Amino acid sequence: MATKRILTVDDSSSVRQMVSFTLQKAGYEVTEAVDGQDGLAKVGGGKFDLIITDLNMPNVDGIQLITAVRKLPGYSFVPILMLSTESQAEKKDAGRKAGATGWIVKPFNAEQLIAVVQKLVK
Amino acid sequence: MSGKTNTTMGATLLEAGGDLQSLLSATESAIGGLVAAFQGLAEQTGSVSNLSAAIVDRVEDESVRSVLPGAQNMGIAARKFVDERLQATAGILDIVKAEMELLHHLSIVTDGQAKIAFTIKMLNVNTKIEVAHLGSAGVIFEYLANELADFSQSLSGSTEELTSQTDDRRIAIDKTRIMLSVELPHLRKELARVETSLRSDVSVLDSGLTTLSMRPAQFRMSAEDIARQIAGAVVAVQGHDITRQQIEHVQEALILISDNLEVKEDSTASVSSQIARAHAGLEIQVYQLKSIRATIAEWTSQLKTCMDSIFRIGAFDLVEIGPLVLEQARLMSSQMSHIESLQTECQISSKGIRETLGGISQLSQLVTEHLQKSQSTRNRLRYLTFNSIIEASRLGTEADTICVIADGIAEVSAEWTNITEHSESALQEILSLSTRVNGVMATLSQTNSEELQEAQVEAQKGLGNLRSAAEFAVMQGEKIGVVTAAMQTRIGEVAKSSDLLDACFARIDAVLADLEEVKLLMENDHPGIREMYDKAEAESLYSASYTTEAERDVLRAAIYGTAIPLAQQSSTGNDVELF
Repeated sequence: MATKRILTVDDSSSVRQMVSFTLQKAGYEVTEAVDGQDGLAKVGGGKFDLIITDLNMPNVDGIQLITAVRKLPGYSFVPILMLSTESQAEKKDAGRKAGATGWIVKPFNAEQLIAVVQKLVK
Repeated sequence: MSGKTNTTMGATLLEAGGDLQSLLSATESAIGGLVAAFQGLAEQTGSVSNLSAAIVDRVEDESVRSVLPGAQNMGIAARKFVDERLQATAGILDIVKAEMELLHHLSIVTDGQAKIAFTIKMLNVNTKIEVAHLGSAGVIFEYLANELADFSQSLSGSTEELTSQTDDRRIAIDKTRIMLSVELPHLRKELARVETSLRSDVSVLDSGLTTLSMRPAQFRMSAEDIARQIAGAVVAVQGHDITRQQIEHVQEALILISDNLEVKEDSTASVSSQIARAHAGLEIQVYQLKSIRATIAEWTSQLKTCMDSIFRIGAFDLVEIGPLVLEQARLMSSQMSHIESLQTECQISSKGIRETLGGISQLSQLVTEHLQKSQSTRNRLRYLTFNSIIEASRLGTEADTICVIADGIAEVSAEWTNITEHSESALQEILSLSTRVNGVMATLSQTNSEELQEAQVEAQKGLGNLRSAAEFAVMQGEKIGVVTAAMQTRIGEVAKSSDLLDACFARIDAVLADLEEVKLLMENDHPGIREMYDKAEAESLYSASYTTEAERDVLRAAIYGTAIPLAQQSSTGNDVELF
């Protein structure tokens, strides 16, 4: 079976590294993007099985990224997880309306993240 | 308060903001170093885990676990072998002693025979003399002389043969007796030694294998612990991102406050309300920085703890297993070599004993033949006695001497009968000894040694597997040693990054001092300034950029003058919420 590809989008290099480290150990191929704009470019350049994105980023933020990705062919049902420091209900609602599949408040639990990714990406 | 003072305060705040910016840049590189070190440690721990798992798999293998029953069986077989050997040797010694007595008995018989042979020879000489003396009357006694001569010769011959054979036999048996007298205490000592040292070696092996069997469980617990520490470190590293954002928000707020302090000509707000707003903002930023300081202390401490634990767990003591087990295998192997030497010794002496004991059948044959001759001689002597007496009585007084000779022959015949009975009795004893010898020979047979050999082969096979597993463990241990040495270097790098991080974050204290100073200036110039600001406005103004609930809670605490909320960050990380 082909290795599943995951895109992680965050302006913090340490967060990107931790997401990559966690998911690579679980056998996934992980690509990093430094913000929403970079994320969109990467999505345009290849097919991903799941996207994990931060909310507050320069250039293109998480909500804008999700909205744009959902319009791309083949990305209507690709799972997108929001990884953010925000926990307010209004923010989560905005994410859900934009098309997010789920929400993680930083810091994420590595085991939980792997379990959810395994569930979402088969 | 003059515009000049406001400008100074504003400059101070901007400078503080600049310090925060430099702090963030410096921590970015320090955290980068820590993350790299953590990822390296995690990878190395994974290597150690895999190397250790391979050791565990080898030692848990059935072929290794079978070594103890194999060694125990060998111990039982060895004890049985030595014990049976000991009993057989004691039995053989009894047989040998009995045979020595028998041979002594036979030597009395042969002595008796020799005397009789001499007596018959004398009788023969006397008969010849008397025959010559009697002349033609003595012709009928010539046969007597010839018979006596024949007896004498035959008796001498068979007596010599029997004497020679029994003498040879006595020498052989005596050698065996001496050998067995030495072997018996040696075997007793060996049995005691085998019992004690084998029991001890098997016990040591058992203890070692018990330790071996515990290690896999310990290893698995450690592997789970490692996973927990790694997960903890992942959470701790994310803490940096959270505090980075919070520090950025403080920076932004300081710029905003500094702007507020600038006296604007077209502004409708009073100076007091401007200062009040600025003071509120400063109060909030002081609270935020203190909260950030506490949060940083927590996640940096968690990160250090996790990495120390990973390093400690990584240097797992499975490394010791290899040499420990090799030593035990060596002890058992030495024990087995000793048993093998003992077996060889026993085999050599068994061969000698079998040969010697086998000679009893020859003795039996010899005595049987001798007995047959003896019985025949006894019958002939009786016949001769009878005839001599008859012939002598016919001759009357002329054959008085012949009568004396006949009496002599009668005495010899009686003695010979006695000796024949002794020979019969000796033969019975020999036959009884033969039966005992057959029983003992069975004990010395190859079968008993084969049982031990089979047990040894099994034990040797088990030890071979154990040795191979131990050598593998040693090899893996060396590899683990290389990795843990590299981990130690990495931990050194972690310490440096960690120190840099601590130094960076200590600068927050300097910024706090600056902010407190500016706040004091404001309070001195505007007493009661706390009551002057609009709490709702302050909340709205300064929380606009906030991205964490923690910041909002701290802001409210600052505005309402309550205690700074404790850092709420989860040490295990938050779960995923699916929509």
